[in-house]
Amino acid sequence: MDVALKIWRYDPESGERDLREYEVDAPEWACLLDVLDLIKDKHDGTLAYRKSCRMMICGSCGMRMDGRAVLACKERMKPIADAGHVPVISAMGNLPILKDLVVDMEPFWGKIRAMKPWLDPGYDEVAAKERVVSQQQMNAIHKEALCIMCGCCVSECNSMESDPEFLGPAALAKGFRFVGDVRDQADVARLNDYNQDHGIWDCTRCYFCNERCPKGVDPRDAIAKLGAESIRLNIDHDMGAKHAKWFVTSAKTTGWLRETELVPKTQGTLAAIKQIGFALDLAKHGKVPPPFPPHVAKNVREARDLHDLVREQGREGAAGIVQGEHALAQIEHVLSADPDSAPASRIAPEKSGGKSGGD
Amino acid sequence: MAATEATRVAYYKGCLASLSAKELDISTQALAPKLGLELDELESVTCCGAGDIHEAEPDYYLHLNARILAYAEQTGCETLMTICNVCTLNLRQANWQLKNDDNLRARVSANLETVGAPPYDGTVDVKHLLWLIAEGDGFERLKTVAHKGLKGLKVAPFYGCQILRPSKLLGFEDPDQPWSLEAIIEACGGEPVDYPAKIKCCGFPIIQAREETALGELIQPIEQASEAGADAIVTPCPLCHLSLDAWQSKLRKQTGKDFAMPILHLSQLIGVAAGLEESELKFKRHVVSVAPVVQKLEA
Repeated sequence: MDVALKIWRYDPESGERDLREYEVDAPEWACLLDVLDLIKDKHDGTLAYRKSCRMMICGSCGMRMDGRAVLACKERMKPIADAGHVPVISAMGNLPILKDLVVDMEPFWGKIRAMKPWLDPGYDEVAAKERVVSQQQMNAIHKEALCIMCGCCVSECNSMESDPEFLGPAALAKGFRFVGDVRDQADVARLNDYNQDHGIWDCTRCYFCNERCPKGVDPRDAIAKLGAESIRLNIDHDMGAKHAKWFVTSAKTTGWLRETELVPKTQGTLAAIKQIGFALDLAKHGKVPPPFPPHVAKNVREARDLHDLVREQGREGAAGIVQGEHALAQIEHVLSADPDSAPASRIAPEKSGGKSGGD
Repeated sequence: MAATEATRVAYYKGCLASLSAKELDISTQALAPKLGLELDELESVTCCGAGDIHEAEPDYYLHLNARILAYAEQTGCETLMTICNVCTLNLRQANWQLKNDDNLRARVSANLETVGAPPYDGTVDVKHLLWLIAEGDGFERLKTVAHKGLKGLKVAPFYGCQILRPSKLLGFEDPDQPWSLEAIIEACGGEPVDYPAKIKCCGFPIIQAREETALGELIQPIEQASEAGADAIVTPCPLCHLSLDAWQSKLRKQTGKDFAMPILHLSQLIGVAAGLEESELKFKRHVVSVAPVVQKLEA
């Protein structure tokens, strides 16, 4: 089959960046990585990209196709070529480009190292007997353990784009891989570390990481698990944790968010007073609803009782998220077993097509 | 060929539309009958937790959302309609878990019954207003409902995050190339404006705890839509709306740029094209003036 690609080239010596088009004859089974190999072998030996295993386990070939971070070895080219589409290939985002499709992973590794990614068993002497860990205990960190550190989740992270120091989805998922490990005894120290600026509470919940991860790690969910464990262990000094806790207080008192009190409860009264000018401006437009009388949900007593009841059932912290993963893991199976169950609207209907002023 | 029978849906308006974004609820209630939607408003429901309870006390999050779903099921409606991205994701995530894990649903339902709420049998689908309009009957009706048109108003769609991602839980449209807002803008007689940040984050979830990072996100859609010549931005999410509308003044202060981009709720954009009155649109509740848009349409 004929496959055409446009590739953003970057020459670090001249600093030049240009978009070049390539066309190759590739076998029908070819993935993006195969096509890059053909281009390099037959057309342009200067093209730079990383690769190793070709089977989605080494994490080397992360790059962008049409702006989406992908593993080049995972993307089949036939449907794209059949559709006559010419995808644009570029380096991953949020990392400095070294040459063509190769990024400098050092900032990525630095953040992974900051998580202290090794087991701290809490003893120096090895015990006489081995410590048996149950399958159920390991299931708690199963998803995070799947990470191949390819960087696809980091590529489109919106918080990191705004704050390059944000630890980011890959590192924080690695953090939960240890916090959630029953053999690790350093969870409080770890959570205190991860609760600092540029940590857990800097995540903006854009969910690009879950969308991009080629291995199903769902880093955003791992970050939520770290938040839940922090709050379970009363590590709640960060404004993000206070913000999250105020929603719980709201739900169990009035049922609805106590919106106007959210600012002082998150930032503290002093900081809230400094925002008074801004708040008054919003108040003029009814954007600061008066807290009294409170907006109370009908039958709110049920929400209150529910709070006390579930707390007694021992699924606090990350366990409350892990319990839902069995069902969530079935999504792909359900959709692949019955493609008709996928919403028909996934692809734009003819009538829109994003064309304006057309026929 | 417009359908004639109205579809009854359970209506969950969420927190903001009851509080700081009342204009969203008011315009939605005014517009719905025109689009063939009969809203059965849920009363005995609470906040979905907005991702915050999911992070603070996830088991409680699951139960609060199960309770909302249970009350929706009690109405006999097949669809629970949301008007907020964050409510949509929170409810759909809980719903998938409860529908696909019998043991989990049994435990949660038993807890609901213990506190006097109805149990949840897993029969409800959660859909955002945007989806109900963009597909099928809603879209057909839109063409006749939007009789006043938008006179070629240049409208920048802003999807926000949690109506697109994670697509395995939302799945209505391609999360990287969504089309529904553009289709609605066109059907109403407007001209969709394209710009890269339309699928990115507005920064709202961290706007109080990490304002600087959030503003670094927020500036992208405002700046790009302005540069692309948009007269207004439209969004299906009241949280995106609040951040784009109310925090724009902070962007002005931070950058010295003269941003004044009107931000419309989806129901207001269609509402204008459908000829709703100011008492139903409530543009005066916006921080950034919508007057330039109204003037352009009245010209």
